[in-house]
Amino acid sequence: MFTTVADLVDRALAAFEVLAVTAEPVSDELQYVTDLTTVWGARLRAVSTARGAEAAPAGADAAMHALAAEAALVTDPHRAIDWLSTLPQVALAALGEAA
Amino acid sequence: MRFQDAKPDGRAVVYAHIQADPLVVRTADLLAAATTVQRVLGRAVMNGESADPAVWRVMFPTLFGERAAAAGTPERDRSEAILAASLAVADRGEQTRSQFRGALVEALTERLLAERTNPVRRERRILFDGRPAEIHPYDVTVEGDGAAEAWDCKWGARGIKADVIHQLDDARAGAVSEGGKLLVGLVVFDARRSCEVRLVRERGPVAIEGIKLIALEGLDRLAGRRPA
Repeated sequence: MFTTVADLVDRALAAFEVLAVTAEPVSDELQYVTDLTTVWGARLRAVSTARGAEAAPAGADAAMHALAAEAALVTDPHRAIDWLSTLPQVALAALGEAA
Repeated sequence: MRFQDAKPDGRAVVYAHIQADPLVVRTADLLAAATTVQRVLGRAVMNGESADPAVWRVMFPTLFGERAAAAGTPERDRSEAILAASLAVADRGEQTRSQFRGALVEALTERLLAERTNPVRRERRILFDGRPAEIHPYDVTVEGDGAAEAWDCKWGARGIKADVIHQLDDARAGAVSEGGKLLVGLVVFDARRSCEVRLVRERGPVAIEGIKLIALEGLDRLAGRRPA
């Protein structure tokens, strides 16, 4: 049993969802948060569709674990908005994908 | 159309010290020569919470893991140097790091533009006959004859706001009204995907086709290079 790209995308999406909830109190940016959730969610799911069954690249499993842990440290809603854009870029880089 | 130094005020005096800080200078030099993933590393660390470099090395396996360039190579050394410099910026505290990040994007933009063209200037106003001058200066300008450019620099896509877009578009229109040409744009140290959704929401009635968007993945275009 090995970790697949789909497993890691699921983990990234779960961390992404936590950030979106953390960002919710910034009511002025609700539309932006929704937009980020839409476009980055679609980008990550597209990777899963294209490569989901592949074994995760070397180091990507640990990278996604560290990334989710880092995202979990973010408690400030404004910082969470920044991370809604940052997290997908880091996740995609770990998977060898362009943003 | 003519360019003019911005009038110095209290904010400008303080900001000038930040722009000249050796850490800003060193980090901008490193990021100017960086790959896209190395720039993503810089963005993540400078936005991040963890101060332990080991955490970030694990998070970026293509820079520090089995798939990375070998230790001791220039590319690996640059990754380590960017990590160290970015942690130093993050260590400055929330308010200071925010100012550093803004100054950093401007310094990076200045360096990349200077590879392609000159003269490149910072904090300049643009004046047009018969139009009131904008209060806020442009972050970086290129003032060559017949090839003028004005760039506003942002750390993140969230910094793209309607007033910024309007000011850039007004300057572009001002140049056209004088029979000239001014390339205007936004340089954003964030992913293009995030910038585009922000730009579309904030543009209002402005036709954004006249405004260049240079995002993190395309920064090398400022220097006339293909993205690394």
